[in-house]
Amino acid sequence: MRNGLSHMGKKFGSDMKILQSKPQLKLGLWLVGFLGLAAACADESKPLNTFDSDGEGQGPKATEIEGLITPIFAIAGVVFVLVIGGAILLTIKNRVKPEDYDPEDLPTQTHGNFSLEIMWTIAPAILLAVISVFMVQTIWDLETKNAEGELDVMVIGQQWWWEYRYDVDGDGFYQDANGDGVVDEKDAELPLTLALDPDDVVTANELVIPVGQQVDLEITSRDVIHSFWIPALNGKRDAVPGRVHTWSVEADEAGKYTGWCTEYCGLSHARMRMSAIALTPEDFETWIANQAEPAEVPEEDTKEWRGRETFAANCSSCHIVDEGDFNYDDYDPELITKAAPNLTHFATRSAFAGSIYEIYLGDKDGDGQDDTDANDNELDVSDYLILPQEASQEAESSADYRANSAQLKRWIQNAPSQKAMAPDEQRGMPAFPGLSDEQLDELVAYLATLD
Amino acid sequence: MAVIEEPLALPSGTTKARRPLGAFSRPRNATGLVDWLTTVDHKKIGIMYGMAAMFFFIIGGVAALLIRLQLAAPNSTILSADTYNRVFTMHGTIMVFLVVMPIGAAFANYLLPLQIGARDVAFPRINAFSFWVFLAGGLMLNSSWFLGGGANGGWFNYAPNNGAAFSPSTGIDFWNLGLFIAGIGSLSGAVNLITTVLNMRAPGMTLMRMPVFVWMTLVTQFLLLFAIPVLTAAQLLLLLDRQFGANFFNVTQGADPLLWQHLFWIFGHPEVYLMILPAFGIVSEVIPTFSRKPIFGYPFMVFSGIAIGFMGWGVWAHHMFVSGIGPLSVTAFSVATMFIAVPTGVKILNWLATMWGGKLILNTAMLFSIGLVTQFTIGGLSGVTHAVAPSDTQQTDTYYIVAHFHYVLFGGALFGFFAGLYFWWPKIFGYKLNEKIGKWNFWGMVLGFNLTFGPMHILGLQGMARRMQTYDVSMGFNLWNLVSTIGSFILGVTTLLLFVNAWKSYSEWKAAGRPNVGADPWDARTIEWSIQSPAPEHNFDVTPTVSDLDDFWHQKYAEDDEGKLRQVATGDELAQPGNGEGVHLPAPSYWPIVLAFSLPIVGYGLIYSLWFCIPGTLLTIISIYGWALEPADDLDIDDHGHGPDQEMEPAV
Repeated sequence: MRNGLSHMGKKFGSDMKILQSKPQLKLGLWLVGFLGLAAACADESKPLNTFDSDGEGQGPKATEIEGLITPIFAIAGVVFVLVIGGAILLTIKNRVKPEDYDPEDLPTQTHGNFSLEIMWTIAPAILLAVISVFMVQTIWDLETKNAEGELDVMVIGQQWWWEYRYDVDGDGFYQDANGDGVVDEKDAELPLTLALDPDDVVTANELVIPVGQQVDLEITSRDVIHSFWIPALNGKRDAVPGRVHTWSVEADEAGKYTGWCTEYCGLSHARMRMSAIALTPEDFETWIANQAEPAEVPEEDTKEWRGRETFAANCSSCHIVDEGDFNYDDYDPELITKAAPNLTHFATRSAFAGSIYEIYLGDKDGDGQDDTDANDNELDVSDYLILPQEASQEAESSADYRANSAQLKRWIQNAPSQKAMAPDEQRGMPAFPGLSDEQLDELVAYLATLD
Repeated sequence: MAVIEEPLALPSGTTKARRPLGAFSRPRNATGLVDWLTTVDHKKIGIMYGMAAMFFFIIGGVAALLIRLQLAAPNSTILSADTYNRVFTMHGTIMVFLVVMPIGAAFANYLLPLQIGARDVAFPRINAFSFWVFLAGGLMLNSSWFLGGGANGGWFNYAPNNGAAFSPSTGIDFWNLGLFIAGIGSLSGAVNLITTVLNMRAPGMTLMRMPVFVWMTLVTQFLLLFAIPVLTAAQLLLLLDRQFGANFFNVTQGADPLLWQHLFWIFGHPEVYLMILPAFGIVSEVIPTFSRKPIFGYPFMVFSGIAIGFMGWGVWAHHMFVSGIGPLSVTAFSVATMFIAVPTGVKILNWLATMWGGKLILNTAMLFSIGLVTQFTIGGLSGVTHAVAPSDTQQTDTYYIVAHFHYVLFGGALFGFFAGLYFWWPKIFGYKLNEKIGKWNFWGMVLGFNLTFGPMHILGLQGMARRMQTYDVSMGFNLWNLVSTIGSFILGVTTLLLFVNAWKSYSEWKAAGRPNVGADPWDARTIEWSIQSPAPEHNFDVTPTVSDLDDFWHQKYAEDDEGKLRQVATGDELAQPGNGEGVHLPAPSYWPIVLAFSLPIVGYGLIYSLWFCIPGTLLTIISIYGWALEPADDLDIDDHGHGPDQEMEPAV
C-alpha cells in the first residue's frame, strides 16, 4: 500500500477510459439524460399523488403519513447511495483484467470479522427500532375515531361503483324487522343481506364531506373485496363483504379529491373510480338537506314525464328514484349486490358510471373556457351546489355549460360497450337496444330533473 | 449428525431379480427421448427443470410485454378488460410458480448432490416424479389459454372474487388445479432434497462445511415443506367451493373472505423467501470465486439465511395492512417486517466485504452477481418503506409495490440465476458461454430492467394502482408508462441474448471439435469442480473426503514455509478422471412420468366431467402399484460403466 494513492489514481484513470469505451454505458448515460429532460418537460397534474409535491392540497391524514415516511425515504436514500456507491467503487477499484490474472497472486484471505458483523447486525436493528416508535404512533393516530354523534358515512363498494349512506336521522344505518332504527350496529346483519335504513341519504360515486372536519367511514362491500382510496385524504382501506371496517378522511380545503378502487375486483376494476367533494360546512348543510328531500315528479305529458314512464318500465327494477313513497320491501333487483346506484338526486352529482364520465360539460366555473379538457380535473366546488341549475340541454358551442347528454344516451343504450360488465351474470348494467332515440332523449331529460 | 461412510448399495449379483410382469421391468439402456423421459439422474432432471422453466419464462415474458404494450398509452384498447385481467394474472402465476421456483429447483437438483459429494439424491424416482408432476401442473395451467382463457383473479386470487359467482369461467379452475398438482412436485422435491442434504453428505462434510448454496437450498426446501401444504389447503377449500358448492368463502353463508388472505399469505410470504434464497446461495458461490477470497463471515451468511427462513413465517400479514385486520395486528406485523430487513442487510454487507480487498474477475457471472447485490438492495430498501404500515396504506396495491417485488424477484432472483447459469454452464454442458455476448446480456438487462421498473416507483407514488387495464389521461401517468414500456422491450430482447449465447457458444464449441473445457475452468472453490465437465453420469469416481469449507480450493492452495499462500496444484491436476467403473447407479423408471401425468386427467375431470376422474384415478392407482412393484433394480442388467463415454447433449 506504499504507493496506494497514486496507484489508485492511475487505476481510476485507466478504468475511466474503459468506461468511456463501453458503448453500453454510453447508451445508458445518454438515456438517463434524455429521461431527465423528458421528466423536466412533463407538466401534467397528478390528482392521485400520494405526496403533496405539486401543492394541490392534502388532508391532514395524508400529511401525517407523508411526514412519517419522508425522513424514512431520506434514510433509505443515504443507505442506497452508500451500498450502491460502495459496490460500484469496490468493483472498479478491485477489478483485475483477465490478462493480469495470476493464480499465485492471491488477495489477503479474510474469513470474516466477528465484531464488524455484529456491528452491522445491531446498528440497522437499532435504526429500525427508532423508526418503529414513530410508526406505531402513526398507526394508532390514524385509527382515532370521532366522538359519538359526529358525521359518519357508510361506504359500500360493489362491482364497479361506490355507494355512500349518510345517517341523517341519527338512528344508525340499519333497520330491524319492525322497520325501527337499530342504533347498535353490531347486532345488525351485515350488508349483503341487511335491511338498510331507507331514511338515510343515499348517493353514489361522490363522497361529499364538510371541510375541516374528520369524517368517519364505515367501509364494507356487497360482493367482492374493493379498496377505498382517496390518496390526498388518507391511505386506503379494504371494503370486505361481511365485515365493516372503520377508517376516516379529512380535507383542509374545499375541492375535489379523486381516487380509484385499489383492490382488484374483477372485470372493470380499472373503471371503478370515485372522488370526494369537500364543501364548506354551510354548503355541506345545504347539500345534505337537499339530498334528504324526495325527488320531484315532473308535470304530466311533458318530455320529462314521458322519460319518467320509460324509467319506470326499464330502469326502476334496479335503480331507485325515491319520490317519498318508495316501497323498499318490494325492492329486489336481479343483481348479485341487490343494489344499483340510487338516482334520486342524480343531477346533483358531477360524474356517473363509476366516476368515469362527467355529467356536465363545458364552462363550469363561468370563465368562458371549456373546462372539460381531459387534463382539467378541477371542479370549482363553489359551484357544486348549482351544477344542475344552469345546464343547457341544447349546447351551441363546446364551451357552453351543458349536460353530457350524448354520453348519457350512449351509456343507457349500451353500457357494457362503454365499460366491461357481465349483466348476464347479474353483475352490472345491461344494454337497452330497444330504446328509441326519442325515448333516450326523454330519459335524459327526466334524469336532469333529479336535482 | 451421522455421516454415511459408504453410498447405499444393493447386494450385487447374488440374488436373481424377481420380475412379476414385463411391464414392470425398468427401461434399460434407453437412449434419446426415452432416456430423458425415464431418467432418474438428478443432473438430467435438473436440466429438464431449467428447460421447462425457460419455456414458461417465454410465455410469461410475452404476457409481460402485452401488459406493457397495453399500458404504454392512456385509454388504450389493445387488450380488452377481460383479456388484460387474464394476461396479468397468468403473467404473475407463471413467473412465480413456473419460472422462478423451478429455476431454483433446477439449480438445487443439479448442484446439490455434486456439492455435497453424493452420487444422486436420496430418492431418485421421486425426484423424477417431482419434475414431471411440476411439468404436468404447469402444462395444465397453461392449457387454459386454449380452453376458455387463463385465470382472471390475480396471482393471489382473493376470495370471494375467486368463487364461481364472480368468476364463472374455468380460468380459475385451471389455476387452482394446475398449481395444486404442481405443488405436489414441490412438496415431494422438498422431502427428497432435505433427506439428501441431511443423509448423503460426503465423509467429513459437516453442516458447517457445506457450501452456502447448499445451506440456502436446505432452508428453501424447509420453507417449501411447510408453506406448500398451506396453499394446498386453501386450494382444496376453493376446489370444494367451486366444484362442489361448498361455502368456505361464501359470504352470504357467513364466511369471512379474510380466511383466504391469511392462508394465501402464510404460504405466500415464505414463498417470497424461497424464491430469493437459492439466488442468494448462487451469488455466495460466485462472488468468492471471482473475488478470489473466501466468503466473508460464513457463519453469518448461514445463520442470516436460517433467520430469514424463520422470520419469514411471522410477517405474512404485511400483505394485509389495509385488509382491516385491526391496529394491533398491523403494529405487530409491521414491526416484525421491519426487522426481517436485518438479516438480509447482513447478507448484502457480507457480499460487499467479500469483494473488499479482493482481486475481482469481472466476467459475466460476477457481473450478474454484483447486479443482484445492487438491484436487490433497491428492492430491499423500498421494502422497508412499506413495512411502515401507515405509508403502506398509500403504497399498497400501487405500482410502487410492483416495482418493489420486481426489484426483488427479477433484479434479485433472476439476476442470481443468470449468474449461476454463466457460472455452472461449463460444468453442465462442457463449454463456456461467450463472454462478449454475456456482457451485452448483462448490461442490456440492467438497462432494460431499470428503465422498466425504476419508473414504476414514481408511478406508484403518484397514485397509479396495479391491475388496472387502463388509466385516464387526466391522471398524469403517461410519460413514465411510456418509458417503462420502452424499457420492457429492451429487457425482453436483451434477456433473449442468453439463448443466442447458448446457441452461438455451442456451435463454436462444436465447430472447434468440442475441446475439453477442463474440470475447473474458473479456479473455483467447491467440490463439484473436482470432477470432469460435463459432470459424468456417476458424478464422483470416488466419494471425496472433505476436510474444509471450500475443500477443493484448499487442495489447490496451501501456505508455503513462509506462510504465503501458493498454488500447489491446478484443478485439472486434482480432478477425478471420470472413470465410472464399478459404480452402481439407480436404474431409470417409467412410472414417475406416468403417475405424474395421471393427475391432470383427474384435474380435467373435476373441471369438465367427473366421469373423467375414473380413468385418471385408475391410472394413478396403477402407477403407484407399478412403481411399488417394479424391481428395486434390474440386478441382472449390468448398469455399470455409464461413465464418461455417455455424452450429454447440450440443451440448445
